[in-house]
This record gives sequence, structure tokens and C-alpha cells, in this order.
Amino acid sequence: MARRASPDRLLPAKAQATLRRAALLSALAAAAWPLQALLISWGIGGWLSGAPGSASLGVAAGFAAVGIARAGLDRVAARLAFRAADGVIHDLRQQLLTREALRPGAGASSAALAAMLTEKLAVLGPWITRYRPAMARTRLVPLLILALAFYVSWAVGLVFLIAGPLIPVFMALVGMAAKEASSRQMVEIGDMNTLLIDRIAALPDILLLNAGDASRAAFEARAEGLRARTMAVLRIAFLSSTTLELFAAIGVAMVAVFVGFSLLGEVTWGSWGGLTLSEGIFLLLLAPEFFQPLRDLAAAWHDKAAAEAVADELDALAGDDTAPVLGQGAQAAPLAGPASVALRGVTVLRGAQRLALPDIEVGPGESVALSGPSGAGKSTMLDLLAGLLAPAEGQVVVAGQPLTAGIADAWRARIAYVPQSVHVPDMTLRRFLDPHDSGADLNAALRDARAEGIVAALPEGLETVLGETGAGVSGGEARRLLIARAFLSGADVILADEPTADLDAANGAAITEALVALAKGGRTVIVATHDPALAAAMGRIVPVGEGVA
Amino acid sequence: MRQLWQILRLLWTAEPRAMWRGAVLAVTVLVMGAALLGLSGWFITATGMAGLAGIGIAFDVFRPSAGVRMLALGRAAARYGERLLTHDATLRALARLRVTLLARLERFPMPELRRMRGAAALTRITADVDALDGVVLRLALPVAAALITHAAAFVALWALTSHAIAASIALGYLIGGGVVLWRVGRATLEPSSRAEAAMQTLRQGAIGLFRGRREAILQGTLPRWRASLDATEAEARAAMDRLDAIDTGAGMVLSVIVALVAAVAFALAGVLVAGDNLDPALAAVGVFVALALAETLVPLRRGMAEIGRMRDAAARVLAEPQVAARPERKGPAQAAVPGAVLEVRHLSLARPGWSRLLLHDLGFAAIPGETLAIRGASGAGKSTLLDVLVGLEPATAGEVLLLGKPLSEWEPAALRDVVTLVPQRSALLSGSIFDNLALADPGLTPEAARAVLRAVALEDAVEARGGIRSQLGEGGAGLSGGQARRLVLARALLRRPKLLLLDEPTEGLDGPTARQVLAGAREFLPDTAIVTASHRAAELESADRVLELERYIPEV
Repeated sequence: MARRASPDRLLPAKAQATLRRAALLSALAAAAWPLQALLISWGIGGWLSGAPGSASLGVAAGFAAVGIARAGLDRVAARLAFRAADGVIHDLRQQLLTREALRPGAGASSAALAAMLTEKLAVLGPWITRYRPAMARTRLVPLLILALAFYVSWAVGLVFLIAGPLIPVFMALVGMAAKEASSRQMVEIGDMNTLLIDRIAALPDILLLNAGDASRAAFEARAEGLRARTMAVLRIAFLSSTTLELFAAIGVAMVAVFVGFSLLGEVTWGSWGGLTLSEGIFLLLLAPEFFQPLRDLAAAWHDKAAAEAVADELDALAGDDTAPVLGQGAQAAPLAGPASVALRGVTVLRGAQRLALPDIEVGPGESVALSGPSGAGKSTMLDLLAGLLAPAEGQVVVAGQPLTAGIADAWRARIAYVPQSVHVPDMTLRRFLDPHDSGADLNAALRDARAEGIVAALPEGLETVLGETGAGVSGGEARRLLIARAFLSGADVILADEPTADLDAANGAAITEALVALAKGGRTVIVATHDPALAAAMGRIVPVGEGVA
Repeated sequence: MRQLWQILRLLWTAEPRAMWRGAVLAVTVLVMGAALLGLSGWFITATGMAGLAGIGIAFDVFRPSAGVRMLALGRAAARYGERLLTHDATLRALARLRVTLLARLERFPMPELRRMRGAAALTRITADVDALDGVVLRLALPVAAALITHAAAFVALWALTSHAIAASIALGYLIGGGVVLWRVGRATLEPSSRAEAAMQTLRQGAIGLFRGRREAILQGTLPRWRASLDATEAEARAAMDRLDAIDTGAGMVLSVIVALVAAVAFALAGVLVAGDNLDPALAAVGVFVALALAETLVPLRRGMAEIGRMRDAAARVLAEPQVAARPERKGPAQAAVPGAVLEVRHLSLARPGWSRLLLHDLGFAAIPGETLAIRGASGAGKSTLLDVLVGLEPATAGEVLLLGKPLSEWEPAALRDVVTLVPQRSALLSGSIFDNLALADPGLTPEAARAVLRAVALEDAVEARGGIRSQLGEGGAGLSGGQARRLVLARALLRRPKLLLLDEPTEGLDGPTARQVLAGAREFLPDTAIVTASHRAAELESADRVLELERYIPEV
């Protein structure tokens, strides 16, 4: 069960101050209604006592003037509240981006994070712009109207007094139920996005399996689930607002009937010595406005419930204590020092398991193969050396100094990392190969990686935009492009995770030769591999996998 | 705008009964609201007059007061019913629309699907569909209900009060309100599509950043990615600020119109009463109804402000995929190899969109129970060849016969019952391991699932992580590369095809495991022709025959 805390914790002091002003203005605008009611009731009273037509014109002018002033006040209040909401959402978005961009290992899926960043944070908007001003009006306007009602008729005042407090009690009950329903709905929205991105990514495979119908049926069931949950939220929201409308309508009806009977002289109690028509009309006009702020609040109630659900999810995201990578991931001048790396007494946590990794010392120009069964920690070692992961214990030493957050960006400027899985972002091949526009010789690097033929054959050469999983080039080709990039960057430490994995024997051998050539050229090369040919071509082999605790 | 109408029709016809009932209730709510205030005002003024005249005893209090109570209760009940009916009907229609969209995506040509950004398609389906829920709820229904209510109020006021009052209320609201709302609709078109576009770009950019953040950190390009996201966000915020300014401005003008219309009605009524041309109680009805009708107008501005967003979403949702023209092939060919599952003759092929030939005059056949390995260097066209064999890409020249029938004459569904291709990059789904397998065989039993996992040497690994019901993350996360590969293979085996095409099936597996997996697959499907695109020793050794692609590569 999620913790039930106010989403107010998301509002910084400055936003709170702006919101207080907006709330005050909005409450003032609402509080001017009795003035309009007074004018109308006075005017209608005048009709019976034979007032001239010009009196009605005066009343109408006064009524319109107050109405226009109220409209202006409301507008100013609404703009203030919007600015506050915009600022709050912007800040939260920035925080989230800054934190999550540096935590590639964190558990939340990309789609879930993006959903939080866009539509879920946007849910805070209505809470700030609608719920909070409604709350302020609720605190001021009913009290004011209650006092006015008592001044005219204690019986009507009593009706308000009894109906008023019942409403918050009922609303609190409804609100609790709504919050739970609403958090279930938020979870379902995220689930459906994940499900959908998953299905679309797998659509080619689903079609090849002739499983389009089955997959769509599963999706349909989930979409239907979302509808059912959304309706559960809405049913509660509608119920709460209906209850309020009922109270309001009954209040109006009771006041109308009481006033009517009083005016006829059939009821003689309830007022301070008999009601006049003007007083009766005044009371009737006050009745709906007594309940209006409460109705606004109820209409905005599920905004608050939704905001609470979002706040809880934000807490859950912040509660994922995956450590960020070292450094900022920014471009930096290459770190000075020898092209050497070392792991000393390093262990990492994998869930609750502690994985001990072998010590290694790799000097400048050395080439090393990390070899061992899958899951033994080969890739983890490369991540540690690249500063993508901080060890639980022990020391990672690069260029003769401990790898810290302060030097991680500068260190990464010296390394080239060929990852195991190909992620080609949405950009041209040229941009992908040469992210910093270094102007280095792309063709030479492509030649070294035996990849020049791939580019020559692409429809638009280096300007071709590749798909997210590198569709448009085959698996082996995508890998060779990645290796070409390592050649290109001029890095003197090469980390490669299964670099020959997608390549046929001939090309695998060529890449192996290229890596050896890089090592002979004075660069440090560390590969994680279970390709025996590649491992044998390296200067030495470090077995990984004996140290699992 | 045509698309908006189309969407409206689509949503309305999905649940027409519920929609119509909801529409009737929507009008009822508004009419009852106006009637409640009007009747109350009349009642009080009339009783006031009767009290003054001293004829209170003769006044019929019961019918009006019963009417007031009935209207009060009935209005609340009608409101609840209206909201439930219309929301439920709309959400049902939207859920159906999502599924329709997914089905529409399935009709896209395969290469386009492969290249499709999951993020962009996701955005289209979820955000666009969500944007469309307002078409009925916030636009069509309130506008229609408001118009009907105003017409009813006009008729009632015309009969009860003076023509001047009825006309000034109707004209004031319809013209004043109409002009404001129309202008809101027009002024927000541009900023609302801008806001929506920026928001979708932000979401896609965010997914791209989160997926590619490892890469970006390694390249030192994270701040640059971030800067472009921030620029998109600033654009979205500016557009939304503009929208809010228009929206709240319109709200202000509408409130002013309400105040003016009520004031005019009051002034007219006052002048008529002073001249003894109108009964004060009926005059009060005019004033109170004028105030009550504000309820019909103010909620409309939200729907009008969303028109731009809805229009753009509707256009995207209704966009048809380009239907890929299936190449026409000439007459049937005679199978030359009797009993062959697959026969390829004089086949030439180029990579899609390219003119240079990859392979030339290729010919081979595969018979049931045979394993044929196609060997070639990376980029030689192995994957393209397999795509051609399964009908995803057209061949440049030559013939492919499947079970003696030309490939082009096979219906896609029938073809996929006979041939299964496991591409190099195959995706798994979130859900349990069993769910992933059941995709290939809806009637799958747990025993059969375990059997096929055993065939691909995955049973122990699956048991170790909690059995076939254990859950996988997004894209099958939670399995190692080699495990995912074997699960994909197991899924294909469950199809029990006549022809199984495997693109580098044992990638990421060590030699002994690879041999075990290939032997297991053969044992599981003893009569299937298996064709692999391979360069690994394990795959080549397990094959009955090896076809060297090198011989068919044209000289450049």
C-alpha cells in the first residue's frame, strides 16, 4: 500500500507563495458574489414596491460591473496558478532527467521513465491549478455565506451549517477510495505503454509466427483492463461530485421552500422577525454558491488523488538506489597518464549476491582477453574500467590513479568501448561514427575495421539514418561499424565486449588482427570474449569466473 | 476537420445506445438546472407577492415546492447517469481504437516495421488515442446539449416572459458565446498542435536518451542530448503557456458575457415590470434562467481549446499505411526435385533499395529431414536470402518453390504456417517464459513447453530462475543473450513448420551448447527441412550439406 502523504512535498517555497496569492485572488473573486446577489434581490424587491425602471438599470449596471471585476480577478489568479504549475513540473522534469540519464543500470524501463516525464508529471498541473485554488475558496466562501445567511435567517443558516460539515466527511471517505483506484490506474497506464512498445518492437517476429491475433488479443485484454480501472476511478469521482450536487440541490430546494412558506406567512419562525422578498431572493441566490466551492473541490479531488499517485511513483523512482555512473557523461579533455588499468580486490553487488572479480593489472600497450563462462562478470569488468559502474569494494585504477567521479569523463575521452549489443540512436551514420565532429579520417577507420564496403553500399552512404536496432545493416555489419568507431576515436585504451560475436571466421580473424595491430601500435586492448581465436591472439588471457561467492 | 467528424462517427457508432442515452441525459441535466433556478425564483417572488397581498392561504404551495424537490433530485441523478454512460462508452470505443491501430501496424511492410522506432509508434497509439477522448466528451456532447438547452429555454421564456427577454438571452449567449468559442477554437489550433508535437518529440527523445544513455555517457555526448531535450521542453512550455493564456482569457470573456446577459435581462425585466407589462414573478424567471444558463457555456471552452490537438491526433490515427504492392509473378513452374520442401532456381537478389546484385543465379533444394547450412561472409546476403525465402522481400530474378508451389502464390497466413524464420535479431516480449512460447502455439501445455525448452538445452536455466512462469522484463530482459537466443529458437520449434529458416541460430552460445541445441532442434522436428545461415563451426558441422554462397557472388 502506497504511503498516503500530501503531494505538497513536491512544491518548493516559491511555488507555494505564488499559489497562495493565486488562491487568495480566486477566493476574493468568489466572495464578491454576495454583492451581486444583494443587488439582484434588492432590485427584485423594488419591482414589488413600485420602483421606477431606472432603478433596475442602475442595479443591472452594478451587477455587470461586479461581474466583470470578478472575471478579471479570476483570470489573474488562473494565470498565476498556471505559472506556478509550469515551474514545478519543469523543475521535476529536469531533476528526473539529470538523475536517470546517469543511471543506465536502474530498473525503470525507458518507456516508463518517458511516460513519467511527459504525461504523468503533467497530471500535477490540474492539481496545482484547480485543486489548490478550490481548496482556498472552500476555506473562505462557505464561512462568509454562512455568516450572511445567519444574519438574515437562522433557519437557513442552520441548514447550511448542518449540510456543510457533512460534505467534507463524506468527501474524505470518497477521496480515500479514489486515491487507491487512481494509483492502480497509473500503474496500468505504465504497464500498457510498456506492453505496447514491447509488442511493436516484436511485431516482425509476431507476424513471422503468425501470432498477430494472439498478440492482439492479449493486448486487447490489457486495454480493456485499463478501461475497467479508469472507470473505477471515474465512478468514484462521479459519485463524490454527485453527492455534492445532491447536497447543493437539496439545499437550494429547502431554502426555496422555506423562504416561500415564510413569505406566505405559513412559517413564522426561522428569521429575525419575518422575511422580506428581497431577503428571500438573497438567500436563494446564496444557497448554490455556498456549495459551489465544495463542488469545485470535489471535481478537483481526483486531481489530488492522481497527483498523490504520481508523487508516490516519483518517490519510488528516487528510492531505486542504483548508483549513477561516475562523472557526467560530458565531453572532456583526455586524462593524462599511462594507458594502464587495474582492478584490485574488486567486488560488485548483483542483487543480493556479491561477485568477486579477479585482480588484473594491464600496462600500456598490453592486450588482454577476459575469458570465462557467460555471467561470470566479464562485461561487468569492462563496465568498471569504463567508470559505468562503481565497485562495492576494492579499487579501480586507471592511468595510475583511482577512478573517481572527478576524472571519469576525462578518462572516458581516452577509451573506446565496443559494447555487446548494438544500440544505434536516431542519427546519421556519420554522426554516429564521429559524434564530436572531430574531422578524423572516416575512410581510414572504416578500412581498418573492414567496413568500408558496408558504407559504400548503403543507399545514402554516411548520411544514412540507421534504425534503432541497426536494421538496414546486418548484425555483423553493425558490429564492424562499431569497431570502426573505436578505430576512429583515436583512443589509446580499447575495451571490447565480444567484438567478434556476429562476424564470420574471415572477418572475425580480420578484426582480431586489427585489435592486435592496435595493441602493437601502443594502445591498450582489453576484450571480453569466448571466441578462442580472439583470446589466443591477445597478449595474455585472464580467466574470469572462479571467484563467485 | 473531416477526420474529426470521422472520429466522432467512429466513437459514436462503437456504443451508439449508451451514447444516445448519455446525450439525452446531458440535455436533461442542463434543462433541469435552468428549470430549478427559474422555478425557485418564480416561487419566491410569487409567494412574496401573495404574502404582500394577504392571499397567502389561497396560494398553491405544494405543486411548485414538489417541483423544486423533483428537479433537485432528478438533476443530480441525471448527471451521474450521463457521466457514467458517456465516459464508459468513450473509453470502450478508445480501447477498441487502440487495437485497431495495432492491427493497422501489422499491415505495414516488414522492412518498415523493422526500421520502425518503437517509441514513435508507441506515441502514436497511446497519446493520440488519449487525445481523442475529448471529441465526444468535451466537444460534441456539450456543444449539442448546450444548443438544445438554449433552444428549449428560448421557447419557454418566449411563452412565459417577454419576447425581448427571451431574445436577448438567446442572442447574447449564442452570439457572444459562439464568437468567443469559435475564436478560441481558431486561435488554439496552432499552439495546441505545436504543444502536442513538442511533447511527443520530448517523449521520443526521452526514450531515445534513456535507451542510449550508456552509449552517450561513453561518448561524452550526454550534455548535448540533454540540451536538445531541454530545447524541446522549452518549446512545449511556451506553446502551453500560450494555450493557457488563450484559455483563461476566453474564460474571462465568457464570465463577462454571463454578467452582461444577466444584467440586460434584469434591466429589461425591470423596465417591463415598472411599466406593468410583465408579472414580477415571471420576470424573476427570466433573470434566474439567464443566470442558470451560464452552466451551459463555461465548460465548452475546454473542448474548444483542444480542437487543434484532437484534429492532429485524428489525422495521424486515421492515416492508412501504404500497402506494399505484391509483385506479380508469371505462371506456375514445375518442381524439378520431387518431394523437396524448398527449391530455389536461378535466383538473383539485391539488398532492398539497392541496385548492386548480392547473389546471382543461385540454385538449391532442401528435402524433409535435411539440414542445409548456407555459408557466407558477413554482408554476403545471407539474411536477405532468408527474407526472400520467407516472402518478406522480392527476389530480383528467379524462382522459389515451396512444397512445389511458387512462393508468390502462397497466402501470407498459409505461408507462415509452413515456413518459420528466426531472424538474427528476434525480440521477446515482457511476460512469462510460457507466454512467450505460447505466442507460437496458443494451445501450449506446460509439459510441451518444458519439452521444447529441453530440446534447446534451456530447461535447467529456466528452472533455476523460477520455472516457465517466471517473468521476463521489457524485450525479454532478464535472460542472457544466449538464453534469449535459445528461447527464440524454442518458440520457432513450437510452430512445427515444414521449413525452418535460422539466421545464425547459435550466436552467443559456446561450441558444446551450440551442438546440443542443434541436435535437440533436429530431434524435436525430425521431418522438417532446416536451412541455416551460418559461419560458425558448430552449425556447419551439424549440417547435412553446406552451400557456399561465395560461388554465387557476382564479380564487380
